Amino acid sequence: MSNREFTRVAEAEQLQQGKTMRVELEGREVLLCRTAEGVFAVDNLCTHGAARLCEGKLKGHRILCPMHGAAFDVRDGSALTRPAVRALASHAVRIEGADILIAFSD
Amino acid sequence: MNKDKATPGVARAPGPSVADTLATDSRGAPQPLLDQDYEFLGDQDIDCSRYTSPRFAEQEFDRLWARCWQWACREEHLQDVGDHYVYDIGPYSVIVVRSAPDCIEAFVNSCAHRATRILGGEGSGYTGQFTCPFHGWSWGLDGSLKNVPARWDFPHVCADTHSLQRVHCDTWGGFVFVNLDPDARPLADYLDVLPEHFKHFPLDRRRIRLHVQKVLPCNWKAAQEAFMEAYHNFETHDSPTGANAQYDVFGKYVSRFIHNIGNYSAQALDDYPGNKWREPPLSENEILQILSAFGLDHDEVPPGETARSVAAEDLRRRLSESLGVDLSLVSDTVMLDSIEYHLFPNMFFFAGITVPMAYRFRPNGMDVDSAIFDFLILEPLAEGESHPEPPEPARLEIEQSYTEVEALGWLAPVYDEDTGNLALQQQGLKSSRKRGITLGNYQEARIRRVHQTMDEFMEIDDE
Repeated sequence: MSNREFTRVAEAEQLQQGKTMRVELEGREVLLCRTAEGVFAVDNLCTHGAARLCEGKLKGHRILCPMHGAAFDVRDGSALTRPAVRALASHAVRIEGADILIAFSD
Repeated sequence: MNKDKATPGVARAPGPSVADTLATDSRGAPQPLLDQDYEFLGDQDIDCSRYTSPRFAEQEFDRLWARCWQWACREEHLQDVGDHYVYDIGPYSVIVVRSAPDCIEAFVNSCAHRATRILGGEGSGYTGQFTCPFHGWSWGLDGSLKNVPARWDFPHVCADTHSLQRVHCDTWGGFVFVNLDPDARPLADYLDVLPEHFKHFPLDRRRIRLHVQKVLPCNWKAAQEAFMEAYHNFETHDSPTGANAQYDVFGKYVSRFIHNIGNYSAQALDDYPGNKWREPPLSENEILQILSAFGLDHDEVPPGETARSVAAEDLRRRLSESLGVDLSLVSDTVMLDSIEYHLFPNMFFFAGITVPMAYRFRPNGMDVDSAIFDFLILEPLAEGESHPEPPEPARLEIEQSYTEVEALGWLAPVYDEDTGNLALQQQGLKSSRKRGITLGNYQEARIRRVHQTMDEFMEIDDE
């Protein structure tokens, strides 16, 4: 864990509670989600049909895919409902001052 | 034994009535709360098998749940186009969806191909279209058939025959109702007096503050009947109030009780066991102490005031501030009392500020011996404020206590008491040598009315 490199990807004030934001890091799409519990980062592509989750909706701590309605827990990426069965990759998040930083977990 | 053969249903608890209390409140009550509507509905026992027989439960699914209006979710669950809610009742599952900004529709949650449920578990979700997880058939949010993979193999399939099966859907008071009966009568007919009675208390301008969903160890009817009378308060809640509650039956579908909070009738406890709260009766200060659970400013009743008027005024001030709504003109009864309306077969709506709930009871899957109890606390929305995203339900299993939901506060032990008798009742219903349960003519008339309306749905003729 200690050798993970955190990179600045967004300004914290751009991400309101209950909202998501698509960012790109090293060519990979990542979804930032701000819930009542904080900011979380998961891959932006649904593990079922590869639809963009940024076009879906965040409800509480669930991100819902716009294509088939599959739900993932943004806190750890776990798949909550069919048709998705594989978890999203979940990434470490750090808030430094006004910035949101993430580090890939894989 | 009371051998009084006076006209059944006429007798009432001794002492002041709810109407007497409302007449002396510091502010006038809304007219619907002054209306009284009761008639004797009979005194025959209700057969225990209605609560225990799997065959009766099956008939309920066929003849009741497939044909009655029932609330599926709140409109606040469906704020954006694509927001949907899956509502399950026994073997049935319905998708309710906001298909357009001004349109909510409902469909049977079943694929037109090989009948797979399109969406999994109950609750809220969001999607741009509906897609069956089995072979990938898809439909628009309006239920119209959109895409069939390997279309060449299905020349016999078209939108006319294979769109999603529509379910009747309508709204009232911010609740979304569905009816699985293709020939259902309009919801408005079914609501009877409810729209008129809730004009002073608009439920659409309320939001879900808390939703608790608990599995209860009894038949759904036994579960809801534990909440249809206040007769149990003395024994179950160790409470002096409720013995003089008012009960109204407004027709086949709607009934009500009004249970005063913040005063009670010592005379109404005349033949209850012991002398508790009767000799001597509680002082106004002692009553205020009981009400302190609500969070009051006063700990003593000033001269010339009553515990009820003091509590109502303290709550007006405190809740106006915390909720951002003007409660200064709200009557004492609406501020304090448990004003509980029941809509057939399984829904409860409260018209009170401090007791602001909505309930729904239904079978737990196909099990005759357990029920799901949805408990909502509805909070007024501040002027001009729109509904926030509703909270997810806190789910409790049979063995869990309401105290595990911290947000329930003082209500948690009350609901543990309310539900604590239910396993015993379900067991007793199965082992009783007496074949039926007996109901009070007045205090339990609402329960009888539900069974009588059920008989109409179930096509049972008792006569």
